[in-house]
Amino acid sequence: MHRERQVAVFSILLLLLVGLPLWWTTTRVYRADLPADKVNHFVPENALEIPLIFYIDTEHLLSTEKARKKSQSSHSAVNYAPEYALTLTLLNEDPVNGAVVDWDIEQAVDVYLKPFVDKISSLTKLSLSSQVLHHAGPPPVVPLRANNQSYLTPEMLPHFVNSPSWNFASIDPISPMLNFILFVPALASQPMHIADEKGDTQGTEAFLVSQWGGVAIANLPDTTRPGDKVKLSQANMQKYIGYYISQLRRLIGIRNGTPLSTHNSHTHKSTISRIDTHLATETGISDWEFDALLRQWLIHNRRTAITTLQSLVRLVNSLQNMVVMDEIKAQVDKSLDALYKAEQALTDVLTSNSSRFHHCYQDAFESAAAAAALAEAAFFDPSMVSMLYFPDQHKYAIYMPFFLPVAIPVLAAIKRIISERRRNSAIVADANAADHVAKKSN
Amino acid sequence: MNFLRALLHIAGIFLTAYILTAEVAQAAGAHNKRQKIAQFLDTENHTNNWAVLVCTSRFWFNYRHIANTLSMYRTVKRMGIPDSHIILMLADDMACNPRNCYPATVFDHPQKTTDLYGDNVEVDYRGYEVTVENFIRLLTGRVEAQTPRNKRLLSDDKSNVFIYMTGHGGEDFLKFQDAEEVNSYDIADAMQQMWEKKRYREILFMIDTCQANTMYSKFYSPNVLSIGSSDKGENSYSYFYDHDIGVSVIDRFTYYNLDFFESVDMSSRHTMADLIGTYNTSLIHSNPGVRTDLYARELQKTYLTDFFGAVQEVELTAEPFPIGLKQATG
Repeated sequence: MHRERQVAVFSILLLLLVGLPLWWTTTRVYRADLPADKVNHFVPENALEIPLIFYIDTEHLLSTEKARKKSQSSHSAVNYAPEYALTLTLLNEDPVNGAVVDWDIEQAVDVYLKPFVDKISSLTKLSLSSQVLHHAGPPPVVPLRANNQSYLTPEMLPHFVNSPSWNFASIDPISPMLNFILFVPALASQPMHIADEKGDTQGTEAFLVSQWGGVAIANLPDTTRPGDKVKLSQANMQKYIGYYISQLRRLIGIRNGTPLSTHNSHTHKSTISRIDTHLATETGISDWEFDALLRQWLIHNRRTAITTLQSLVRLVNSLQNMVVMDEIKAQVDKSLDALYKAEQALTDVLTSNSSRFHHCYQDAFESAAAAAALAEAAFFDPSMVSMLYFPDQHKYAIYMPFFLPVAIPVLAAIKRIISERRRNSAIVADANAADHVAKKSN
Repeated sequence: MNFLRALLHIAGIFLTAYILTAEVAQAAGAHNKRQKIAQFLDTENHTNNWAVLVCTSRFWFNYRHIANTLSMYRTVKRMGIPDSHIILMLADDMACNPRNCYPATVFDHPQKTTDLYGDNVEVDYRGYEVTVENFIRLLTGRVEAQTPRNKRLLSDDKSNVFIYMTGHGGEDFLKFQDAEEVNSYDIADAMQQMWEKKRYREILFMIDTCQANTMYSKFYSPNVLSIGSSDKGENSYSYFYDHDIGVSVIDRFTYYNLDFFESVDMSSRHTMADLIGTYNTSLIHSNPGVRTDLYARELQKTYLTDFFGAVQEVELTAEPFPIGLKQATG
């Protein structure tokens, strides 16, 4: 009987002895080891030393300089993305009491916008779509009416695009959207202008909404009658696409300005007059603007990659319950590789000759963009979410019902075994003592 | 030498540089036309507002929580936040509930003047999609790749985010649809992850539930302003029992917030301090709490429109880019 009880108790204890470590290892959260040292080795500088080479129409190469470029982010500009979803929308307020308006958007885009899209395609993809909203309804602001003209005042403009019935939805789930609106007011509100508080028109019918897009207002000829069919031709669209290009340039962060005008050196001043500062009317972006944009985004992406990786490492350290899969580590490693590649390409610029350095810039840009994309993918990986906080009392609540019913008889049995042992040894001791006494008395 | 010269000429007026500060010598007329519209809002480093409105209850007797959330939705929309920037999480089982004697409507007042379920209610997370996991994923941005745009919080370091939650809760937790609960620690960690990835500039966290003030007690991320409806150990109370509908239609704390908002429009100069100043314990029947230690700005200088309005900054486009036009050389 005693023997059986002992076997039962010891087998349970043995089970616990084997089971506890097993339970511990199997319920432990899997955490791949992130290369924290390598990540923290990078400094997310705002400025990078990128060699600068001037090509001037003179007899000698003027200078090869190093300069610091601070990546200033414009207020209205959107952050860098590898793809933007551009939507061109024709909003016709009222085709019943006004004209039925259509546009030659495909030809206009091909001729005026496509060159821009193609030119910057090595930096970012602009995917275009267009739509026409008939019966769009009035804007959510009521323009002032005076002298047979309608006026939008500055206070109205921020709310202009917020009509709940204007659908600018994109099927693209993540690419930042840039909306370009051509608004055709109802005949009763034509012509529509933008004026200041005093009622002075501003000489333009277009405005930009920070980080959102641009709006242009299309006023139809005076002779338009209700029910007329109006088609905005490719030639008509030149002006509007021109507005959109101005706005698009602001939105993606192209700044107007010659690169040399702040230099005080004499040589530079004398050469400024010989530098072509004309606008690139064929594509909408000149070579040096393209180059500046490349540098700007290169620095931005490098910084994004570094700060994202560092945030990830900090986060994983601070949330000890967070699962970190091997795929996350792989992405972090790849991102780091891309960062090293970008650094390498930038140092190569110094040693390469003029025909090569463009190639190096492009390499550096692509590596930095890849590094940023990989770092973000790691940070936002869906597996990185777990229900993190698990209070101790919940653990007790879960394990108690399982272990308490088992533990009580086991503990009771252990107690009985111990007390029986004691009693046995006491009996043996008594018996020995009795023997002793018996022997003595003999 | 001639060869080199020719080469340089071919390279021509090609320029790579990166000091781009001065204005280009564009047509002189462009400058007079150029005018940046002065904003009446303090929009420094702040270009967009987002609202995340969460009702964590379902079932008929929780009618008031849905009404709370829809009222808040109506208010932020009226103040100018576009639907694309509002994430509405709602069980949405009231308007078409068989027990609703006013089908397809939701009211927050027995007078029934405003149908909250009127036009253009865009529910982004509906019914059983309102889970703790989806909420945390939404905040942290860790959604599945195929998640549509309207279910993502695409905010950035220039966004002010308003988070409103209502439902049944207790000390440090808020129940989600009687099935699970979100912990104050989880929300605090989610906010920290948002901060790490620059997903907000400032957060206004408002919660109407029992012991609501415990829900923000664990926050530790910067630039978070929190408001709760009741202290630890206190209940939050409902308001307006509607005898036709047969349930309470709104909670007191939310009602008095909305009451104040009704006097506010897009161009309002009311501040957070004004709003908080109106909280009256004898009307709300609990002690609303405000936590400002994580918040950098003064409440007297924080305008309601900083969180509730549309803050789109606008600038005139002086002239179209001369695309496709031949330009005179010289």
